[in-house]
Amino acid sequence: MPPAVRLITRLAWRNVRHRPWQAALLLFALCLSTSTLTLALAVNESGTAPWDRLHEATNGFHVDAFVTPRRDAAPTDEDVARARQQLADLRNAPGVVAASGPWRLLYATGEVAGKPTELRVQVRDASPAAVGQPLLTSGSWLDAEDTVVLEDGLASTLHVKPGDTVAIAGRSLTVRGTAMTVNVFPYPIDPPGTVWITTSTAQRLDPAAVAGETEFVELRLSSPQDAETFVAAHSGSITDDQFRADMHAWQMYRNASNGKLEFVSIALGFTGTMLAGLTIATAAVLVAGRMAAQIRQVGTLKAVGVTPGQLTWIQLIEYLALAATAAIVGLTAGALIFPLLARPLRVAYGAPEAAPITLNRAAIVAGVAVFVVVLGTVRPALRGARHSTLRSLVANVHQPPARRDYRASRLARLTGSLRLPLPAVLGIRAALRRPGRTVANAAGLTLGIAMVIIGLALNGKTADFRLTAAQEEAYPGEAAELTGLLDQFRMILFAGAALLLALAAVNAAVAAIFAAHESARNQAILRALGATPRQTVIAFAVAQLSACLLACALGIPLGLALFNSVAGDLGSAQLSARTYAAVAAVALLLYAVAVAAPARLLAKRPVTPLLAYE
Amino acid sequence: MTTVIQASGLSRHYPGDGSPVRAVDDVRLVIERGEAVSVMGPSGCGRSTLLHLLGGLERPSAGELTLDGRRVDGLSEAAWARLRRRSVGFVFQAFHLIDELSAVENVELPALLVGTPPQAARRRAMELLERLDVADRAAHLPARLSGGQSQRVALARALVNEPLLVLTDEPTGNLDSHATGELLKILAGLREAHQTLLLVTHDPRVAAIADRLLSMRDGAIVDDTRLDGGLSRQAALAQIAGWDA
Amino acid sequence: MLALLAKEPAHGYELRHRLARALGPLGEVLNPGQVYVTLSRMERAGLVRGDQVEQSAAPDKKVYEATPAGRDHLAAWLADSSWPKVAPAEFHLKLVAAAATGLADPSALIDLQRRELLRRLRKVQRLVEEDPGDLDGMLLLEGTALRLQADVRWLEACERRWRAGDKQ
Ligand SMILES: Nc1ncnc2c1ncn2[C@@H]1O[C@H](COP(=O)(O)OP(=O)(O)O)[C@@H](O)[C@H]1O
Ligand SMILES: [Mg+2]
Repeated sequence: MPPAVRLITRLAWRNVRHRPWQAALLLFALCLSTSTLTLALAVNESGTAPWDRLHEATNGFHVDAFVTPRRDAAPTDEDVARARQQLADLRNAPGVVAASGPWRLLYATGEVAGKPTELRVQVRDASPAAVGQPLLTSGSWLDAEDTVVLEDGLASTLHVKPGDTVAIAGRSLTVRGTAMTVNVFPYPIDPPGTVWITTSTAQRLDPAAVAGETEFVELRLSSPQDAETFVAAHSGSITDDQFRADMHAWQMYRNASNGKLEFVSIALGFTGTMLAGLTIATAAVLVAGRMAAQIRQVGTLKAVGVTPGQLTWIQLIEYLALAATAAIVGLTAGALIFPLLARPLRVAYGAPEAAPITLNRAAIVAGVAVFVVVLGTVRPALRGARHSTLRSLVANVHQPPARRDYRASRLARLTGSLRLPLPAVLGIRAALRRPGRTVANAAGLTLGIAMVIIGLALNGKTADFRLTAAQEEAYPGEAAELTGLLDQFRMILFAGAALLLALAAVNAAVAAIFAAHESARNQAILRALGATPRQTVIAFAVAQLSACLLACALGIPLGLALFNSVAGDLGSAQLSARTYAAVAAVALLLYAVAVAAPARLLAKRPVTPLLAYE
Repeated sequence: MTTVIQASGLSRHYPGDGSPVRAVDDVRLVIERGEAVSVMGPSGCGRSTLLHLLGGLERPSAGELTLDGRRVDGLSEAAWARLRRRSVGFVFQAFHLIDELSAVENVELPALLVGTPPQAARRRAMELLERLDVADRAAHLPARLSGGQSQRVALARALVNEPLLVLTDEPTGNLDSHATGELLKILAGLREAHQTLLLVTHDPRVAAIADRLLSMRDGAIVDDTRLDGGLSRQAALAQIAGWDA
Repeated sequence: MLALLAKEPAHGYELRHRLARALGPLGEVLNPGQVYVTLSRMERAGLVRGDQVEQSAAPDKKVYEATPAGRDHLAAWLADSSWPKVAPAEFHLKLVAAAATGLADPSALIDLQRRELLRRLRKVQRLVEEDPGDLDGMLLLEGTALRLQADVRWLEACERRWRAGDKQ
């Protein structure tokens, strides 16, 4: 190793060792942000066009067609065969490139996990179909008589695994696997639950316990966009006085699915994204704070002849090591935690979850970690390098830029004319002199407040996710399950908001500690001029709280705007003025508590060491 | 003449490794109104600590202290702060201006603290800056002031409430020879105006401003003499001529 | 020299040796004859007494020691705070002497001297303050002030030296 490089690595290592506590906190914040980012990316990808992904994976239909016996009709076997034939003829219609069916669809009473349950039974082949073959999420497909495959949501909600036994129409069947498909919502969103059996199993069911005799085909078209035209052209082709014919284009299923997903995708999507955003912001604040503390050292190193380039390297090596560690830890933690979210995700999105990590996403996580670090390093390091050596040695740690004095001064005078008490004016001036700091502080809290607003707005919009009144009456058990599921999502939402606020509070506390460090000298001067400890604490707290006020002022409209921009069918948010006031009050209170501790420590500090000339 | 400072048995001990550091040890001191007193002694002998004790920035470990006839050694932080606003002005070696405030804002700050109306405070601050010849820098932030200008602004800040006592700790320690000369003139002017002054310094020129010299060693005042002799101008000149002969 | 003798009696050449040590580099220019001349002058003044001692190996035969009158003279000299003109060698010798004999505390001597110097400096500064018009005369006063400052600074150096000496 050339000596310069050795020197640089040694100094970088010293830097880490010099303030192990700070380095540990920084590493923790970075790991937290990479972990949440990994999770958020996986959750987001799971929520990205879930229906389309499943449609693609199952080689799903573009049009499906049903024939159902009319009410009060008593079709003979010949009637059934005729209707079946008419369905089968659709397979040869122009534009159809692949098809499967006709399949039978029955309704039966079964017993799953010891509970009597209404079931929708699809009868399919043991061999995979060309179109709409359900996608296995565990176990294997039907392979013998008396086997059954359960819809994934049904199996997971009732805790049934491959190898278990369920009873359908009085017959005991072995569960082979679990699967998902595009035209069935996961249980319990659209009860009853769905199972698949083979024709030979179906023939053994007790006919008395089976109701409804529907047949359907699934068709793939050469031009999927024309599915609706195809439906319009062919829906009249089946005419029968015993049977009712229905035909649907794939778009209808997709829209219905997306409508149901809105709530979930907002809840999960925002929680993940904003958490990741905030943890990244936290890490950035920490990096920047640590840098500020090192400026003086930069001067010393330069004075002994370390070049600006080498200086930047020292910082970069230290932080890149942290970033690399954080990326590895974050990706690992994310990959381990993600499976825990798999079930709610599958139920929510009606599609299998995305892979925990992909190469792309890993690159994004590593990239963000490095970006945060570089952003925090390069700017101050360059500034330190540009500063004259003497100035960074003599000047105290953080000289505010001198060029802005005129404008800020006018602002300061404005606040002065508001006749606030002097300590408050001093605090506001301090905040105005460091607008960057104030905004950075406010940013985290803004996200937290926006998230709370989104949560509150969403809370009033759960109707679309619920069962219809008729369904609730017919399936009271499922309605309860669904309410439970809904509560889970609401909990994720509010836990996310709480976590965001907690993080914002930690952010505020950390920022306040840094600020206390930095303003310690000013506080000491104020004390020497005859300000009481209480006055200096007020000045400090006001400087910090102005960030919080800013956050409230930005966070509430931001939350509303974000919600309204994605709410779509849910409609715009409607919250009372009292709610906004309550959110702002709670945020201010929380923030005040977070900054109180450093402020009080500050007031207790002896002032003379800070005034001594070193 | 009234007594500004009266201290007896005044001590400040810091816990050191092993035996405590006696930064100030059993000091007896009386300063009358209008006196200019300088304090000299080797570095670490406790001069700054004594200054901080007299201004209430430190609490004595033992002893009594009266300021303007009032016992102050037992005052609370807040009570000391209120007293300090009106009665004590500090000037430090490192200037210690508040970086976020302009020169004039720094000066008017103590005035605002005692409740002077903003316009009156501003007027008084500008007057002082003019007197100390830094009025043209009033709107500047401290980062853009030279050392001499900074110290004059700091002095103006110490004087803005017409304090009973001005405490300076190495006021010229950061200044070049020219800026020191300027500051000396101002300090001499203050002495002529009978401002009570305590000058902690290494600089003989600053020390020679005073009427009285305290020598400190290891926390104690070991020597206390008057420097002012009642010589006529002629006699003084003759004497000086004699030294050089 | 008297101070060195006050500590203990010595031969002339021993005395020369000690004197050279106390003066450091300045002692190098000391003329050996000067020591004997001074000694006999002091003997005549009754400040020292020379005792003849038989000693074959030594080149000179006299051991000198300070008389009570000599000691008084020495004490008066130490207490005198008038300031020598150019090189403050005499004050330095006083410190050496004070430390060697224990007749005075070097720190007290330094304080005394500093007081005197500051008094003078104060006078000069006041004169400068009083009439800032006369430029040439001012320059002269300024020169005096600068010399006085330098001397005070030198006293500080002495103080550090003697304090360090205490601790050794
Ligand atoms: N806050 C403190 N804690 C411990 N020791 C201190 C503190 N402040 C000063 N001292 C010690 O007290 C002594 C006197 O300090 P100081 O008054 O600053 O000396 P001076 O100003 O004369 O150079 C020194 O030995 C110093 O180390
Ligand atoms: Mg000091």
